[in-house]
Amino acid sequence: MTLRITRFTLLILCFALQPFSIGLAAGEKLMVALLPKSKGNAYFLSCKAGAEKAARELGINLLFDGPVDSNAAKQNEIVENWITLGVDAIAVAAENKEGISTALRKARKQGIQVITYDADALADARSFFVNQATPQGIAHALMDEAARLCQGTGEFAIISASLTAANQREWQKHIELRLAEKYPSMKLVAVRPCDDLKDKAQSEATALMSAHPNLKLLMAICSPGVPGAAEAVKQAGKVGRIKVIGLGLPNENRRYVKEGVTESVILWNTEDLGYLTVQAAVALAEGKLKVGMKRFVAGKLGEFSIEGDNILLGKPFLFNKDNIDRFDF
Amino acid sequence: MKRYAREISVLGVLLLLLCFLAWRAPDFFQAQPLRSLLTREAPALVVACGMALVIMTRQIDISVGSQFSVCSVVAGLLAAEGFSISVVTMLAVALGSVLGALNGFLVAALGLPSIVVTLGTLVALRQGLNLVRQGEFVNLPDQFQWLGQSQGWGQNALLAVAVLVVVTLSWTLRHVAVGRYVYAVGSDGEAARLSGIRPKRVTFGVFVLLGALTGLAAVMNVVQSPQVQPLSGLGLELKVIAAAVVGGVAISGGRGNLWGVFFGLLLLACVSPAMIHLRIEAYWEKAIQGGIILLAVAAEGLRGRNQA
Repeated sequence: MTLRITRFTLLILCFALQPFSIGLAAGEKLMVALLPKSKGNAYFLSCKAGAEKAARELGINLLFDGPVDSNAAKQNEIVENWITLGVDAIAVAAENKEGISTALRKARKQGIQVITYDADALADARSFFVNQATPQGIAHALMDEAARLCQGTGEFAIISASLTAANQREWQKHIELRLAEKYPSMKLVAVRPCDDLKDKAQSEATALMSAHPNLKLLMAICSPGVPGAAEAVKQAGKVGRIKVIGLGLPNENRRYVKEGVTESVILWNTEDLGYLTVQAAVALAEGKLKVGMKRFVAGKLGEFSIEGDNILLGKPFLFNKDNIDRFDF
Repeated sequence: MKRYAREISVLGVLLLLLCFLAWRAPDFFQAQPLRSLLTREAPALVVACGMALVIMTRQIDISVGSQFSVCSVVAGLLAAEGFSISVVTMLAVALGSVLGALNGFLVAALGLPSIVVTLGTLVALRQGLNLVRQGEFVNLPDQFQWLGQSQGWGQNALLAVAVLVVVTLSWTLRHVAVGRYVYAVGSDGEAARLSGIRPKRVTFGVFVLLGALTGLAAVMNVVQSPQVQPLSGLGLELKVIAAAVVGGVAISGGRGNLWGVFFGLLLLACVSPAMIHLRIEAYWEKAIQGGIILLAVAAEGLRGRNQA
């Protein structure tokens, strides 16, 4: 009996408060909700820092909540809560593409604007995806940086996660295309898989250096490969003679970057990703961003291009000695 | 001579490969990369010795990769907390023993098939670790790498530990009663029991020993770099079982020798760098390693038939 009463009162309360919350949202500040894959993850905290910057500049309310671990079901729950709360826009980094889409479709039906960032949901569950990196963008950044460090000439080798993973093949393909097109004096001497293991990357890098005496650079295109290659170069006493670059996370590479073993680590700027996501969500809620547009101006960061329903963050970001301490993930 | 035919043939294949490399890719023989290769493989050798004992008793433990990961991460976290290297080593060995004891209890006391039990612990430990660490690296204090000494000193120390493990266990297997029990239980558990050996205790013991050696190996790997990847040790079970089988340890139990395991591991470990030196595409690597294992198993089969 008591249970029924409490439920009933709650229901009444909901009805009573609903017009109030809608009135608040419509009259006052916009409310944008940002959902990370997990809220304690330093990667997403860095996104949040950028998002807060955009929220301050735009004068909106920003909600940031997510599962403690990467939990797809918990993500659904949080979206449901936000629907009840009546936020204006939701931006989601989807843990499970299909899993989250039902909740997002429901949000859209209620008039809430939905976009995704970092990891996309199904296309009909959101208006736009803020795409942090295209395979081409990543491959070009890696190859251009390699060529810059080698002054456009010399031998280099690639350490990949596996020879069969789709993303690795895609990146490798674009790296080879870029190489053929722009850097004829550079030579890719070997591609070695490390099975996403730092230890194996280290062994592979050691053998690569001894087998190719003219090797000038090691390029790791999976994140454990970068510190693995760096440790190998360090133990071989070839710091400076053989350069290391790769796709990875600042925290895993910080010590090697500071010691001058690893020249640069390539990823995207996570703060910018958060900033652009909030800018896009707000523009969408205000009707300034529409499907079919080719360009989008995001506050202080300027113009971004849109391909179909993907807003492109653009060129990857190079973490190096000078800036790596600004990032903690 | 004849009783060591298997070990000698593995050594022969290894020497053949090295001769071929000396002819086609003399660059292979440089001091630093070779020393690095041996040091990198030292932890696997320690685990492989423990695995050989388990296989000799006609059991198997496919959870060592996960045990290795858990011990590595725990060792890393303890080191980051400021514990000294000796304390970290002892605790890692203790933790490994406990994990080994769990497998050993389920197999020896409850009589469950070891392949299923350790498949379970393989997955449970790995997923548990993923849940807790989410793949995040553990950063170690600066003085931890190479046991706080120079790189050369540290490498020598690790190689010495690995050789010490091989020599001690090998001697024990040959000359101490407990060592003979391992063969006896693996050859015929019932006969061993009737002659006064307690097969369950021996089985439990080898699992605990494998766990302890895995804990030791984890520390031996952790001290080789300034950070620990929670994934480290993934696939280790395959490598050490392969080393044991290639080295002539009979998967049907009761037969084997740690020097064979030593040569087997060296042979398998040389495949990858050899291919890099011979400019062979990486696609072939796993196929060649698989081929070596098949060859070893076939040799085992033929041997069994000849004896029968």
